[in-house]
Amino acid sequence: MKKPSLKSLSIVEFLKQEPRREARIAAAPAAPMPPMESYVANRLCAALHPARQFVKVTEVIERGENVRSYRLVADPARGTESLAYFSAGQYLSVSLKVGNATLTRPYSISSSPKEALQGWYELTVKRAPHGLASNYILDNWAVGTEVEVSAPEGQFTYEPLRDAPTVVGIAGGSGITPFVSFAKAVADGDEDFNLELLYGCTHEKDILFRKELDEIAAKCPRVHVTYVLSADNAEDCEEGHLSAERIRAHAPEGEYSVFICGSQGLYRYLDTQLPLLGLRRKFIRRELFGEYRNPSADEGYVAPKEDTCRVTVLLRGETYTLTAPVEDTLLVSIEKQGIPAPAKCRSGECGWCRARLVSGEVYIPASVDGRKLADHDYGYIHPCCTFPLGDVVLEISAK
Amino acid sequence: MAKHYDVIVVGAGNGGLVAAATTARAGLSTLLLERHNLPGGSASTFRRGRFEFEPSLHELCSVGNEENPSQIYTLFKDLGCEIDWQYEFKTFRAIMFGEDGFDVSMRAGVDAFCEDMERAVPGSAESVRAFFDLVRKNEEALAYVAAMKGNPNKLKMVLKHADFMRCASYSVEAIEEALGMPQRAREIMNTYWCYLGVPTDELNAMHYLSMVGSYVEDGAAMPKKRSHELSLALEKALLSAGGELWYNSEVVRFLYDEKGGCAGVVLSDGTELYAKEVISNVIPHNVYAMSPKECVPERELRLANSRELGITFVTVYLGLDCSKEELGVEDYTVFKMNCANPREQYDRRKEVGMYYVCNCLNVVIEDASPEGTCMLFFTIPMFGEDMPKDLKPEEYKKWKNEIARQYIEDYEKCMGLDIRSHIEEISVATPVTFAHYLGTPGGEIYGYQNSGWDSVIMRTQSQMKDFTVPHLTYCGGHSVRGDGYSSAYITGQDAALRVIKRLKGGIA
Repeated sequence: MKKPSLKSLSIVEFLKQEPRREARIAAAPAAPMPPMESYVANRLCAALHPARQFVKVTEVIERGENVRSYRLVADPARGTESLAYFSAGQYLSVSLKVGNATLTRPYSISSSPKEALQGWYELTVKRAPHGLASNYILDNWAVGTEVEVSAPEGQFTYEPLRDAPTVVGIAGGSGITPFVSFAKAVADGDEDFNLELLYGCTHEKDILFRKELDEIAAKCPRVHVTYVLSADNAEDCEEGHLSAERIRAHAPEGEYSVFICGSQGLYRYLDTQLPLLGLRRKFIRRELFGEYRNPSADEGYVAPKEDTCRVTVLLRGETYTLTAPVEDTLLVSIEKQGIPAPAKCRSGECGWCRARLVSGEVYIPASVDGRKLADHDYGYIHPCCTFPLGDVVLEISAK
Repeated sequence: MAKHYDVIVVGAGNGGLVAAATTARAGLSTLLLERHNLPGGSASTFRRGRFEFEPSLHELCSVGNEENPSQIYTLFKDLGCEIDWQYEFKTFRAIMFGEDGFDVSMRAGVDAFCEDMERAVPGSAESVRAFFDLVRKNEEALAYVAAMKGNPNKLKMVLKHADFMRCASYSVEAIEEALGMPQRAREIMNTYWCYLGVPTDELNAMHYLSMVGSYVEDGAAMPKKRSHELSLALEKALLSAGGELWYNSEVVRFLYDEKGGCAGVVLSDGTELYAKEVISNVIPHNVYAMSPKECVPERELRLANSRELGITFVTVYLGLDCSKEELGVEDYTVFKMNCANPREQYDRRKEVGMYYVCNCLNVVIEDASPEGTCMLFFTIPMFGEDMPKDLKPEEYKKWKNEIARQYIEDYEKCMGLDIRSHIEEISVATPVTFAHYLGTPGGEIYGYQNSGWDSVIMRTQSQMKDFTVPHLTYCGGHSVRGDGYSSAYITGQDAALRVIKRLKGGIA
């Protein structure tokens, strides 16, 4: 048997390559590059993931005491021709300028994906007692107000390859908003699951979207709604809490997913209830925790001597200094100073505010520490859930 | 006031990071601009629930270790980067499903690989060994060409390095055929073709040999904390040398001087930035679109138009609520195919299950996810043009989930696994996702196709003729080497060394 060899291949071939390539290049047109929209992937990317969306308020709807919905449409005059499609359960990060402060807030979209195709989103805002953003919005937004929002964001969505065919939705108060979108999407046939919704409120008058939810439930057999009042009794409502017992009573036989959206108080209560149901972790989905407060109440938190500290912010080679209360997150202090900082989820999860801690000590509550593994080693933090323990220097990204 | 730098690097992908770190460490004032809020481009991670997923890296070639460092190990070390390298010494398991199918596992190390091949295809060992001998011969030839500063003695090339010249001008299949490698051995040997994005009847033999050779000789390496660790190490090398990295800073225009040389860039907020030298980690296609017409040489437009955009993928990331043992997975890399021939795999790529890769990171990094869990990562070759032309935004999620479902089921069937009921987290990326994070046309990942006529050899040889705009140097996947991480890093280093030479007169 002969030894393997390349002798049968001519080496002259090597010399032919360059002329062949040159001829190929010469034969191609000297035309400009095709526009990005000509590629399917880029066209879809532009439609689904715009860097920002400019919208305008076209309608304000009273939903209850201190709760309003705002219908937003695209504002072509400022460059947004149409709204990005989304999955029910997603949120928009709204950019606001309140006095000197520049800030963002995530609000779940309470309209349906189908309505986004028809040209609008609806955000529903409830006035929080000391809420900088919610008070500003309720006091200022009116028909015609121009607003900047992010693309639809967030992972609180139904995933058919992951979730059970039935979702037990647990909503508390204004945490109903994403479930309104879920219910509409199921009724529209845009989502394929059964929604068994348990909606907890204190009093009957606090129930939001009751008419809309009842209408959907009446026409769509896949959506069922139960109102649960903690301090009231009313016709067609259950009285009590969103307990494990109640969830079990409404859940189907076999596997089901639990989706939760509400206050931090509700999440903490459910932390005591859900283990009683013996659900696998994959079947429990919780919406964003929201801004972390009162770090000093945490076990293991060692309060610094001073109530405030000095924060030095580096941004594109510029330096800003500010005084920050140790009880506020670094993001809040930066925003109050009017420094435009990137932020979306404000719950430690999405990483959009990610910044490099150049020096200083900080406290990051473990339950909301959503950083990447290598970020721990290289000193990156998410300012939206990080509290200074002394003077700090950090480098943030442009907004 | 406009800012001035010695060097502006546009894009903090693998090539851009290495380029910027290298120029900064050479004492040049360096600004690296990135449109996203993370470094690395493809080299990153993302979190879902209790899982942190590797988005793109399968394994790095040309790493080696402390005792036997290869090019990439040395590159990181020279930049002062400390990487926690993890190794895999099995190259791959390849399974062709069906009647005439096969199921082979190939260990790293030339001897072990040849042994495994002989067991799978009796009578193949000699030709397979001859194939790997070419790797060494090519390295010797390239060392000679480098020593002669790119002007080798032609007679010496013909007499001493004839096999190199053949490898540099023929396809993988032609070389294997000439060596008399049995058909089945060729099919197994060519399993890796998608890592270079071109089937082996067109793919340049030398290019493939250097990649396969490196995987087989050095084994595969990956960083413990996924590719984000690599990107952060490079970023630190840049920052600690006084360089700057601006995130969320998208370049929308390239600026030119009156002689047509690149002079700087403009950001989306209108900020103008100037530099003596600009290094672009952005694909020429996009640079031309951001440059005044009269500043783009006609030949460069012709070159760009003569090329096909490179491969991209649909990738499915699964976080499972069972350990790899409970799932029944033992291999890090499994190539699953329905037919054995790369050209057929390429042509019939739209058929479900035709050819894809499934990785389980926990095999190499046991604690890559929490105890009692594991991660699977499907890589399915696709080209931007394969996407349904009229796919609407509202159909997109269903479309990608359907692909994911089909491939998960295909793998379950092939391997006898139950994956579906364990899915705790899922994410599906497509060319749309890559277009989003990389900004590339069609969502390509590997730049331009490494077509037979446009091989790494020809690109390297024609580099100075291909790109002639003064003070503008390219690096990254779209550059001379195409393909993955290691190549992008090396092109970043090459670009930086050329820029350093121009600015500092030969001191690197």
